Amino acid sequence: MKLYAQHGASDGKKTIQGLGKGYIDGVIFSPRDISSKKLRTQLDLIEESHPSADRFFDPQYYAGHNVSCDNPRFGRLESCEEYGKFFQQRRRRELEQGTSIIKEDIKSCLHFQSETKLTGLIGPNILISRSFDSIEAAIAKNFIRQTGPSAAELRTRIPVYATLAVSREALLDKKELLDFLTDITVLETPPHGFYVLIASRNFDARTDIYNADVIAGWMLINYTLHLNGFAVINGYSDVLLPFLGIAGATAGATGWWSNLRTFSLDRFMPAGGGRLPVQRYLSKTLLNRITFFELDQLRNAYPDVLNGLETDALYRPDMGSEPERAEEIYQTWESIQSLIRDLSAKDSKDGMKKCNQAIEAAITAYDNIESMIRLDPKSNRNHLQAISEGIRLFANLAEIGGATLDSR
Amino acid sequence: MAKKALEPELLLQHISGLDSLEPCICAGGFGWVYPATIKGTKEALKVIKIDRIDDPTIESDLIEAFIKEQISRVRREVDALNKCKVAELVKLGAIDICEFDVGEDKYLAFSEEFLEGCDLRKLILQRYSPDLNEITSLFRSLLRCIEDLWSNGYIHRDIKPGNVIKTLDKSRPFVLLDLGIAYAVYETSITYKASERMPIATYRYLAPEMLQPDFRDRIDYRSDLYTTGLTVFEFAAGQHPLARDSDDMIRTISRALRQPPKSLKQYRPDLPEGLCDLVDGMLKKKPALRPANIEMLFKKLEVMS
Repeated sequence: MKLYAQHGASDGKKTIQGLGKGYIDGVIFSPRDISSKKLRTQLDLIEESHPSADRFFDPQYYAGHNVSCDNPRFGRLESCEEYGKFFQQRRRRELEQGTSIIKEDIKSCLHFQSETKLTGLIGPNILISRSFDSIEAAIAKNFIRQTGPSAAELRTRIPVYATLAVSREALLDKKELLDFLTDITVLETPPHGFYVLIASRNFDARTDIYNADVIAGWMLINYTLHLNGFAVINGYSDVLLPFLGIAGATAGATGWWSNLRTFSLDRFMPAGGGRLPVQRYLSKTLLNRITFFELDQLRNAYPDVLNGLETDALYRPDMGSEPERAEEIYQTWESIQSLIRDLSAKDSKDGMKKCNQAIEAAITAYDNIESMIRLDPKSNRNHLQAISEGIRLFANLAEIGGATLDSR
Repeated sequence: MAKKALEPELLLQHISGLDSLEPCICAGGFGWVYPATIKGTKEALKVIKIDRIDDPTIESDLIEAFIKEQISRVRREVDALNKCKVAELVKLGAIDICEFDVGEDKYLAFSEEFLEGCDLRKLILQRYSPDLNEITSLFRSLLRCIEDLWSNGYIHRDIKPGNVIKTLDKSRPFVLLDLGIAYAVYETSITYKASERMPIATYRYLAPEMLQPDFRDRIDYRSDLYTTGLTVFEFAAGQHPLARDSDDMIRTISRALRQPPKSLKQYRPDLPEGLCDLVDGMLKKKPALRPANIEMLFKKLEVMS
């Protein structure tokens, strides 16, 4: 399974460095944050320096349809002339009246991408914001159905992915989710794979994504698409990626800001202001991030929180374990890569066993740590129950290991 | 009213083009099969009786629709066989559909090629234990049929051991028969068994989604993949993965809906794990969980055989 940089504002040299160090296998660019001219320069640079790196571009078409506020922050999506060829603020009425507009938008979008040095093309789609049983879902299904044929017309050899963007609310109804998956897994002209996004209400709402039903639904999407031969790239999957891996994920991505670790339309809305978040350390043992000052308190008292990886050196004890802000992402990437390796398994059943063992180990570690210090709310163990319960629910939904069928 | 096969002599009077006809060799829900000689070639003559409804409380237009649907079903079978060219599906014979009356009863007949061999149901009852090559060959044959049917807009809906012949012909070792309840996805309504208000098909070989009230909205070839899984499983293991001989219809259907089947591995530990997993995967209750990429399935089977 591969890990990509989820690109955003202020990349600097992070992506190039991450590729150079072998922490990531590629990048998913964000047109909101990069002009088409700079995108081309970056792609040239990556192709030259890391020819085997995967290069994608999330067209962020959903923002044009789903973001409705007075001053949306579309950034270069709006200001860059070339993006204007495919980035449209389509109303629902336009999209539900047949497939001609949909086809046109997909074609423009894929055509733009095919003229760059991307290694995979991502089709546009809207976000299913409420339910799979909705007009929005029917429109999204049409985008998916038309992505393969549009790619075929383009006669490109580059693999094409359809976007499947879903809100966490829509994932809660498993019957509708399964029906939707039933429909999109048998397509006349299928795309090579899917680019899956699960939207939280805002990128800071940890419990939105760390919820058993959401995790189970996300895993089920990966499992179903994978077993039907599709490659699955999970945008903004961050620490959940290793768990999606046991369900069949091909790749995932995470980035340097919190809005690149959790997908939310908030990214396209006026910023609320506030201070920069405190730097954190991703502990493989805890399956979570803790603040650098928590790490500083624990590194001698409970050294198991340390990963023992190269990037531990970025959190220097003589600096109070505070890393350079720009370097925090390397620690994230390296830790997730390492977790992926630790939890990789020959099949989902074996993978679930390994994940459960990792969760058990994390519970033990939290038991020890909580007797020593009081943790910040985001550093606590709440995620563990959600992941554990999510895996159990997933096994049931996917009928793995003789699970019975309570969802219908 | 019990159905009784017509005597060959009587059929010879009603159907033209027959050189000779032997006594009925097979009777089922579809009708009767007679070995026939047509222009010097041995063929199988299929005769179907159109059911009547003699209930005065049922409105005549309903009765008419019922009769029409039975006739359409036979025409659909012939249409499907005409369109589908894959070698693993039975081929039509020289006699096209003909309608005739015997007394007050209406009949339809047409001919198919006569296949020398034995159906899988009989082999299973004889405790025949196929080797890996035979199992993968059966799997591939059924997948080819499903692929061809689906590309022509049909699903078979009645894949089961009794409808598969293990032939003596090495170029087509398994042939699928009886498209009598095949469903044209965009044309027809599903045929219901009037007496039981459920889709026609042997209940031991019904995909779980066929038993859901909204199944018409989403029906596709994955139902055939399920019954392919059942057929391959039963052929390999010598027993149905869910149904038991002592079970009645309700219990069998309940098992199909809710009980996870045992893995093929438990019955045939000698088979490759990959093959057992593939067969088990076909038997998932939810269609979305069955691997449906046929090209991918062929590749996986290629590696195993």
